[in-house]
Amino acid sequence: MSESVSGFFLTQVINYGAPIFALTLFLGAVGLPVGASLMVIAVGAFSQQGYFDWGVMSVLGLLGALLGDALSFGMGFYGRDWAQRKFGASPAWRNTRAYFEKRAWGTIFFTRFLVTALAIPTNLIAGGSGYPFRRFMFYDALGEIMWIVLYGGLGYIFGSQWEVVSEFMSNFGGLTLGVVVLIIGVRQALKRQIKR
Amino acid sequence: MNRQRIITAGLIALGVVVAAFFGMRTLRALKHFHRPGLPFDKPPSANQTDVELIRDWMTLPYIADTYDTPPDALFISLGLPPGKQNGRKSLKQLNDEYFPNQPDVVLNQVKAAIGAFQSQTMPPRPLSPSLPPTTP
Repeated sequence: MSESVSGFFLTQVINYGAPIFALTLFLGAVGLPVGASLMVIAVGAFSQQGYFDWGVMSVLGLLGALLGDALSFGMGFYGRDWAQRKFGASPAWRNTRAYFEKRAWGTIFFTRFLVTALAIPTNLIAGGSGYPFRRFMFYDALGEIMWIVLYGGLGYIFGSQWEVVSEFMSNFGGLTLGVVVLIIGVRQALKRQIKR
Repeated sequence: MNRQRIITAGLIALGVVVAAFFGMRTLRALKHFHRPGLPFDKPPSANQTDVELIRDWMTLPYIADTYDTPPDALFISLGLPPGKQNGRKSLKQLNDEYFPNQPDVVLNQVKAAIGAFQSQTMPPRPLSPSLPPTTP
């Protein structure tokens, strides 16, 4: 399903260019499965072919992603009372919030381009935890610029092999997520050992 | 206390499974980078020649531009009238609209037409699409 959705958006991007690219990154940033990372890599490759102006695509794409992130931050912010009522008593929720507050900037920055599967939950938690909006947008913008330059740059360098790059990056993101989960688990186990 | 232990063990197990699964897929994807003809070996060219890279989300004008082929030649090979409307449709949409119940016929015909154009031979015989009736 996701493949046909990203196929649809790829067709629209080659038809209408930057505005649809920005819209796609906006939709991806609010959590819709449009294949936003694949799109950035593809647009890098299309720019290498001379089909698009890389500068214009990057700026409009970045704006779309930032708007989407601001919206999902807002969803977390306005939904925080509901989340607090529903999960406030749960130790997992409290741990997640405490973990986020300790490592907020790193979490926001790295989830933009390295562990992208956690980007939406991070936006929601940041909004829900009362993290300052301006600071969120600062680290968010840094991470999104890194995402567009890194992924788009790889698409540009590898040109027609962008599908291989996309497959590699999506699997590498999954690998990083697994390593992060493993590190959290091992750290928790070590803490328990020390307490004993 | 026991619950915490289960959660910790679950996190470690999940981390190992996810890392192993995606690690293997990452390695498999990495192998593709070592095929000859990649940017490590030579700079990428602006115009594509490998027809196997044509996908069904592409449009005819995009393919024509990428493969340095006249767009009208592709429309003619499919037996379709050139125009903005059809030019904005993906190969899959054209297939669904003009060749229902014949999966991938447009994709294969476009590949054949590009291949023929590249080898400067006669283009393949145009298809006969089931065009919608025209109103007077």
